[in-house]
Amino acid sequence: MSEPRRIAVSRDEDVVVARQIGRALATEIGFKGSDLTLIATAISEVARNIVVYAKHGDITLDIVEDRGRRGVCVVARDEGPGIPDVEKAMRDGFSTGGSLGLGLPGARRLMDDFEIVSQVGVGTTVTMRKWTTRS
Amino acid sequence: MTNERSESEDGAVALEMGLNEQSIERRHKAVTLLPEDLARIARIREAVARRAEEFGKSFFDYLAGLDDARDFMRNAEAVHRARQLKIEHLAAMVGGNYGMEYALQRLKLARVYSRAGLETRIFLGAFHHLLRLVGTAILKSARSPEEAFEDFMALKKVAFFDIGIIVDVMVFERERVIRRQQEAIRELTTPVLQIRDRLLMLPIIGTIDTHRARMLTEGLLHSIRVNRAKVVVMDVTGVAAVDTKVANHLLQTVAASRLMGAMVIVTGLSAEVSQTLVNLGVDLAGLRTIGDLQGGIEEAEQLLGYQMSRIDRPKVAGVLSPSN
Amino acid sequence: MSVPILRQGDVLIASIQVAQTDEDLRGLRDQLATEVGSQRAKGVIIDVTALDVMDSFATRTLRAIAYSSRLRGAHTVVVGIQPDVAFAMVQLGLDLGAVSTALDLDDAIDELRARRSEESRA
Repeated sequence: MSEPRRIAVSRDEDVVVARQIGRALATEIGFKGSDLTLIATAISEVARNIVVYAKHGDITLDIVEDRGRRGVCVVARDEGPGIPDVEKAMRDGFSTGGSLGLGLPGARRLMDDFEIVSQVGVGTTVTMRKWTTRS
Repeated sequence: MTNERSESEDGAVALEMGLNEQSIERRHKAVTLLPEDLARIARIREAVARRAEEFGKSFFDYLAGLDDARDFMRNAEAVHRARQLKIEHLAAMVGGNYGMEYALQRLKLARVYSRAGLETRIFLGAFHHLLRLVGTAILKSARSPEEAFEDFMALKKVAFFDIGIIVDVMVFERERVIRRQQEAIRELTTPVLQIRDRLLMLPIIGTIDTHRARMLTEGLLHSIRVNRAKVVVMDVTGVAAVDTKVANHLLQTVAASRLMGAMVIVTGLSAEVSQTLVNLGVDLAGLRTIGDLQGGIEEAEQLLGYQMSRIDRPKVAGVLSPSN
Repeated sequence: MSVPILRQGDVLIASIQVAQTDEDLRGLRDQLATEVGSQRAKGVIIDVTALDVMDSFATRTLRAIAYSSRLRGAHTVVVGIQPDVAFAMVQLGLDLGAVSTALDLDDAIDELRARRSEESRA
């Protein structure tokens, strides 16, 4: 069984590394072509948020299991400024930093499970999971 | 399928099924396998292990007597492999170690059953028969009926642990076959047709759920690349019910196609349905629609620079109307 | 790792490689902003065939490039978005807005040519 992979994220390059490792891990458990792109894209979004807003943080990638299904779990953690109004941030189109927002509502659409905990002055943790389909 | 290849697949199946250290521990908990049970099993180990071959044989004799197991019993290679594994199983069952290796051993045998088409209920019948024999052996070697009962109950926990894994594997394998068949059927029912150079047609028939919408979209996008399509005529005349969800799937397909440089013309969307969708808040503004399929194809051909002209002397008789 | 930019007539062609970072894309944006002007380019083609992920930043940057090129009189076409990537973009809710897209370089060049003749007629 593979161990969880933790990737420190503080530079642009780390965003690329995180999504490449995410893609590799997802391939390991049998995700197919387009799902791999969805997962890599979601990771790219949350990783970038860390670089842009929190300056540094980490992303932990793990294989998870639930009632016979396998899945990939992505936890993006930072000790950045935090998001004052999470609900607003999760609404499409909202942005402080650019024309397409924090990418969080988009990432949520790409993944199956999505949880976000954020506190101003403390930091933000985004947990996302995607499951392989079992018929 | 040769033994070597199928066995390296065992690991992959285990992975896909989620059979790992953690899940095995949860299975132990599910049958409440306790240290005292292990102690009891250790006590009966000798009595059971020395008759493993005999027990294994009776398992297959039982199957041989069942009409429903005839096909399985005729599969010489499978039966031979299963016999080998069965004897190992019985010894391991009282061996005291019920971790990953033990579980994989069960998985391996279950896959042999599954590949040879042995049905779950048949397996369970034979397994039950086997347990009775084992129980009788335990009764004979115990100091008292009460002790025999307790020892047997301890072993039954392991037996149920085994059944859990074996049945789950057999079901999983069967579902895998069904899934593959379903995919094949789906592919057949969502054909993308190339009707001209750079022009694709996608007739959509039936109901569209999220899963099918995704298959359609992905299929179309790959076809666009392979066929270098510039225009796609997507006909929804045959779609059962175009509600807002279906409409949004269509819009997404159109948007994704556009990203690949292909324009999509939607045909078969009646004015009434379009109006209803707009009233329900669906933004059809960017959608290029033509009422009927023929019109859509003509539009597409024009966009691609094809010109249709009538020849004076058609080859098929009766085409010219009296007025020509 | 900067993005290589080729010139074909009055068209600039930039091919984005696989593991491009945000910084590389920003660099491309700035480089094109300069070159479109200095080369008097009429068209810009950005080839993203090798991109395995097109996220909000990449999309934003492509739109910015198209906008700034437009200001300098050049039209931008993005080519080579792969099927899986197109699907993911749409799921993510990204769109390239008014930026043109084409399947490959040949189509992009045809498109630029068609546009030019249209514009000269206008």
